[in-house]
Amino acid sequence: MTLLQVENLSVTYTPRDLPANRAVHDVTFDIDEGEFVGLLGESGCGKSTLGNAVLRLLSPPARISGGRVVFDGVDVTTASEDELRALRWTDLSTVFQSSMNSLNPVIRVQAQFADTFAAHRIPGDVTARATELLELVSLDRHVLRAYPHELSGGMKQRVALALALALRPKLVVLDEPTTGLDVVVQRSILTRLAELRRELGFAVLFISHDLGTVLEMADRVMVMYGGEIVENRTAAGMLHEPRHPYTRGLLGSYADPRLPDVQVTYIPGRPPDLSRPHRGCLFTPRCPHAEDACREVHPELLPERGGLVRCLVAQEDRLPVVRLGAADAAATIGSHFPATGALTDPGGTPDVVAEAVLSVDQVSKRYTTRRGLRTSTTDAVRDVSFTLHPGRVTALVGQSGSGKSTIARLVTGVERPSSGEVRFEGGSGPTVRVDRLRGRALVDYRRHVQMVFQDPFSALNPTRTVAYALSRPLVNFAGLRGTAIRERSAQLLESVGLAPAGQFLDKLPHQLSGGQRQRVVTARALAPDPQVLIADEPISMLDVSIRAEILELLGELVRNRRLAMLYITHDLLSARLLADEVLVLNQGVLVERGPTRDVIGAARDDYTRLLLDSIPNPFAPAKRSGDASVVRSAQPGG
Amino acid sequence: MSTPAPAVPAPGADTEGLQVAATEQARHSRLPGWFVILWRNGKCRIGLLMLGAFVLVALLAPLIAPYDPRGDDFPTSLAPTGGHWLGTTAQGEDVFSQLIVGARTSLIVGLAAGLLSTLIGLVIGLTAGYLQGWVDEVLSFLINLGLVVPALPLMVTLAAYAPVRGLWLIIAVISVTGWAYGARIKRSQIITLRTRDYITAARFAGDGTARIIAREIVPNMTSLIVVGFMGAALGAIGGEAGLAFLGLGDPQTVSWGTMLNQASLGGALLTGQWAWLIAPGLALSLLITSFTLINFGIDALSNPHLRED
Repeated sequence: MTLLQVENLSVTYTPRDLPANRAVHDVTFDIDEGEFVGLLGESGCGKSTLGNAVLRLLSPPARISGGRVVFDGVDVTTASEDELRALRWTDLSTVFQSSMNSLNPVIRVQAQFADTFAAHRIPGDVTARATELLELVSLDRHVLRAYPHELSGGMKQRVALALALALRPKLVVLDEPTTGLDVVVQRSILTRLAELRRELGFAVLFISHDLGTVLEMADRVMVMYGGEIVENRTAAGMLHEPRHPYTRGLLGSYADPRLPDVQVTYIPGRPPDLSRPHRGCLFTPRCPHAEDACREVHPELLPERGGLVRCLVAQEDRLPVVRLGAADAAATIGSHFPATGALTDPGGTPDVVAEAVLSVDQVSKRYTTRRGLRTSTTDAVRDVSFTLHPGRVTALVGQSGSGKSTIARLVTGVERPSSGEVRFEGGSGPTVRVDRLRGRALVDYRRHVQMVFQDPFSALNPTRTVAYALSRPLVNFAGLRGTAIRERSAQLLESVGLAPAGQFLDKLPHQLSGGQRQRVVTARALAPDPQVLIADEPISMLDVSIRAEILELLGELVRNRRLAMLYITHDLLSARLLADEVLVLNQGVLVERGPTRDVIGAARDDYTRLLLDSIPNPFAPAKRSGDASVVRSAQPGG
Repeated sequence: MSTPAPAVPAPGADTEGLQVAATEQARHSRLPGWFVILWRNGKCRIGLLMLGAFVLVALLAPLIAPYDPRGDDFPTSLAPTGGHWLGTTAQGEDVFSQLIVGARTSLIVGLAAGLLSTLIGLVIGLTAGYLQGWVDEVLSFLINLGLVVPALPLMVTLAAYAPVRGLWLIIAVISVTGWAYGARIKRSQIITLRTRDYITAARFAGDGTARIIAREIVPNMTSLIVVGFMGAALGAIGGEAGLAFLGLGDPQTVSWGTMLNQASLGGALLTGQWAWLIAPGLALSLLITSFTLINFGIDALSNPHLRED
């Protein structure tokens, strides 16, 4: 039975200072009772707007400009606020994109449940009901007494999920529920979600940019591009026979890192600007199969091979045939994407390893915290040793809280180790003891060691132009003055693939896409001509479809400029593609290390295997359908 | 391009051209951008017009004022007449001329004391918030001291015992007593800003503390600084009027506060000279109202969501 009907829905943003932008255009779909539907697309394609429109939570300047949403017989688009209030949360609930921040920081978890019950006049014992709900999401009852800041990101997300399920809704809208969590926590939350749905039978609209997750979880998947649904078919169908070139491109971002040959692809270019009128297919500028007709005729969403697809070439059955096996699917799609850049793993035998430029020798870091009257100590890093070499990438892998970022701070001299030595041997002078640097010497050291940050949206000052950001290291380290600064900045931008540089120098960060910002951040790190580059999760905040692009850039820079790179990540697929050597860090201790292919291809440590099993991989179920239960049993509690 | 006028241009030409246009537009509109946002808000527009009128009057005071505000050769305690629109004082001065010239004093005090206390607050708040540690302990103690000491009695005491009299004393007294609130707000703002990645990035780019504060942090809190200035200026104008009304102002300068003081001393109520009493009071409230109205628009500067209605 149909639970949610969306008919010809359009949403338009009409800001005062900018041209109107139709974020969602003529979208029609149904969700049946108990159905798990995935909604996929890159950022800026309108998927969150669509999710909010279904709940009628849009706020100006966004408004529903056409069509209607019918939920369980009620027209949500015209219902009064009173009718909506009765509907929301009781039958139709949501977990927001930033639901980690949607918990009120000043009240305990129990009070948040009490609020929900009180608002909907549910009688009975709050503690008993809340405990039961927390058990649903595998959380201990002690969590009820906690304030949100005392919980980890994963735990907060579970609380948000428990709150969303509190009134047994018929439909839950999940908007990127696991974005920002590390792979292991993501895996355990998704596993629990799948089990809960089987037990409770609610329908889900799951919004994500991560095709891997969606294909694993969903019954049916809708792919959105430029505010339109471009493909809508069952998850199995989409996996084995993706019909829209965009879907094929998205699928190319996945591969099993354990395979002997790993290849991923990306889709060059950016989503269309929806404030301008477009003729023809919106995907044409990025499409490898585009024909003349695609530029003229806007395709309709028509039934095709058991699903719906919005592509002229596919509808006329002229798409190149793709043989889609389970294992080599990514490679196959990649080879049919002539316009995309493909990234293969470095592989090969390592050439002669040069002298180490940076050595970390038996380093430990202990934090002492005062809690009430007692002091407690935490060993963030214990007895870690490794070396970095020119022209080689060393990946430091582990989930959040494993001490990866602490090591980055120790290596860059932001913090000092409790014991052990960090030595920099790449300078012209004598060996530098990084753990003893201060003041001016520390500034000088950073001429040689630079960082690429995790979040390109916060690593660039929103009020400063690209030219200013690049000029600072050039002035401070290279001693450039006057017009030389601008010339060198332009060269740097071109070296990270932002050409022609003149177009980017005077832009403010908000005028750039996430991928472009990360390139600017990289260019700034390269400005002092460093010998060591620390990249702290440089792709985790980016869309899956452009991650490979940044990885490719980093790989090229390392090999062309003979940089020594420490690549910090929780994602073993990216480590496999980029790194020569992998160090696996678990709770501050190195548990496994060695050449990338050995560590990932034949992981010996349980923790490494857990990280590997947590990677979302749409091709995995087909290949090893039997060991899903193994993955589940390997989850750490909480 | 070979295809005749395609709606979607080839890759590369697509988004970039548009972005260049956007950058161009931003460059042209960056300077008056803040003004456009202020002007679009109805309340704020009224406030700006009112403030503009006051500023104009203050600038052109010598031309507008019909008589010398200090000239006391008119009949005393006149009711409003054609020659003296608002009557004359008990000393025989023209009230209307005093009102016009008084606008100058109020605006100068507002501007100078507002700037001065914003500056003190900015330096102390930013240093405390950015450096933290013992520097923060000491400066926070100073800020808290400034917050708990009751401002009005302190102002009265300072003004009463100061060895000199004059407008600049009043400005100094108001600034010294009024900076703490702004410092507190700026300190908490910088504590959230200093942990942003771009601050760490600036440190990695070799920038020093002073430059990071001035070039990376301050531009991100412009609207907060402007709101702080408006608040401080408002307080300063009120403070000057209050001190002058209590007779602690500079007897040589004509201000709305001294006018109120003299109206009260000269028994304006007893002689039925309503205009003498009401005119400076009304001017003062209108000036303060204009600041408050402008603040509605400044909210929209700091919060883009408010710009949409």
